[in-house]
Amino acid sequence: MQDLMRRIPELSLLIGLSIVAYFVMGAFNQLENASTLTADGAFLLVLMSFLLSTLIAIVAVIAGVGGGVLFTPIMLAFTAIDTLIIRSTGLVVAMFSGLVSSGPFMRKGLADVKIVFYCAIPIIAGGMLGSYAAIALAETMGEQGDAIVRLLLGLILVFIAFLFIIGGSKTEFPEVGKVSPFSAWMDLKGAYYEESLGRVVHYQSTRVGLGGLLFLLVGFTGGFFGLGGGWAVVPVLNLVMTTPLKISAAGSGVLLAMGNSAAIWPYITYGSLIAALAAPWMLGQVIGGIMGAHILARVRANFIRYILIALLFFTSIKLIARGLETMLGIDIPVL
Amino acid sequence: MSEPHHNQEKHPEIPLSGVVYGDIIYWGTLLSALIVLAGQVMSFITRANHISPSVILSRIWEGDKVGAIWEGTVGTQPAGEHWYFDVLHTGDGLTQLGISVGVFVVIPAILASAWIMFTREKRPLFGTLATVAALITLASFIGMLEMPAG
Repeated sequence: MQDLMRRIPELSLLIGLSIVAYFVMGAFNQLENASTLTADGAFLLVLMSFLLSTLIAIVAVIAGVGGGVLFTPIMLAFTAIDTLIIRSTGLVVAMFSGLVSSGPFMRKGLADVKIVFYCAIPIIAGGMLGSYAAIALAETMGEQGDAIVRLLLGLILVFIAFLFIIGGSKTEFPEVGKVSPFSAWMDLKGAYYEESLGRVVHYQSTRVGLGGLLFLLVGFTGGFFGLGGGWAVVPVLNLVMTTPLKISAAGSGVLLAMGNSAAIWPYITYGSLIAALAAPWMLGQVIGGIMGAHILARVRANFIRYILIALLFFTSIKLIARGLETMLGIDIPVL
Repeated sequence: MSEPHHNQEKHPEIPLSGVVYGDIIYWGTLLSALIVLAGQVMSFITRANHISPSVILSRIWEGDKVGAIWEGTVGTQPAGEHWYFDVLHTGDGLTQLGISVGVFVVIPAILASAWIMFTREKRPLFGTLATVAALITLASFIGMLEMPAG
């Protein structure tokens, strides 16, 4: 930890300022008491959100997904907060750990700028369509719309959990095979220095057209549910487009940040992204994102993966139950 | 197969367009985090707020819809504009600005990267893709793309 602080002085500064800021906020709290939350209750909620967000960011970065995959389902399953507010805040959570990791990944040559810009357009377009669809659904279907979102998200989580279980099939250096004319024309190839092997690895991405279509879908899902799309970006890049795992994982964070930056504006300008709730989550993602990126090399990623799988299954059960309860008007005693 | 060609090969050159993109994003994000931190402190230790955090967090926690929250506090829900520019003297306005700076910083980063691709690296295809990505994001930022409902 001390080594980390020495190597990244801006991280030390940010952590130090955050500690001072939260101390000052707690000690000199001038807020009024409100209907549900007292002034101290509001402070505690903000402080807990910040700490939880930092923890989620560390886990999410180590597991190779955006924090939105944990934040959005947990909040949708276990709180009464409006789904639109949760999804907009989920995009912030998904986005900011990706933003801060863009710099180190680009400087180390792990994120391929050509792949990023090729995949960015379908992700951005899909993400915007998804966020428009989310707001339209909330406006037109009300409670039933919320139920549909919870049910669909529960099913998607089961799918993501299975993706993580079979994640062992991912290959660090995939077989390229036949390169289509379009893929050859796009020329998405490059090289990076693989520290674990102590040598340079060359790669070429293929099935570029199919990958583009899948990224449109990934973007839509991320924008609609406020999940981000890190969980799907890595499999598409690695398994479909035969990009090495490390390049896929680094590209995922960069793409997530870029794609969500377009999707999030409608939420901001229509007042669905509320600063009082989103700010501590955003700060936690920035600090936890930097820490997670540097801790990654020292921990057993598999342990984190098991925690993530358990969390996804657990949350999906609650989400599906809540969705069915509202849609069918029944009571399902789950937790 | 993605195989190493030569064990003694030198480290590959890292494209300047990527480094510039990453650096603008990284420092822009840290700047936005500092603004958010300052806005949060101002929200809590002064009464200068557009909507008091304890009031809005209470309503959020109670499960109020977005429209009800805005109508029950300041009267009207924003209708697709950057409303926080009008309340930058308040803690929550400043906090919202900080988050927006972090989201916005992607646009200049992509444009700077595209410029380098066009001029130094002579990769017009990817420069064009980057420009298109920046323009879509910019259109979303300035609200050129109308909402289907709201």
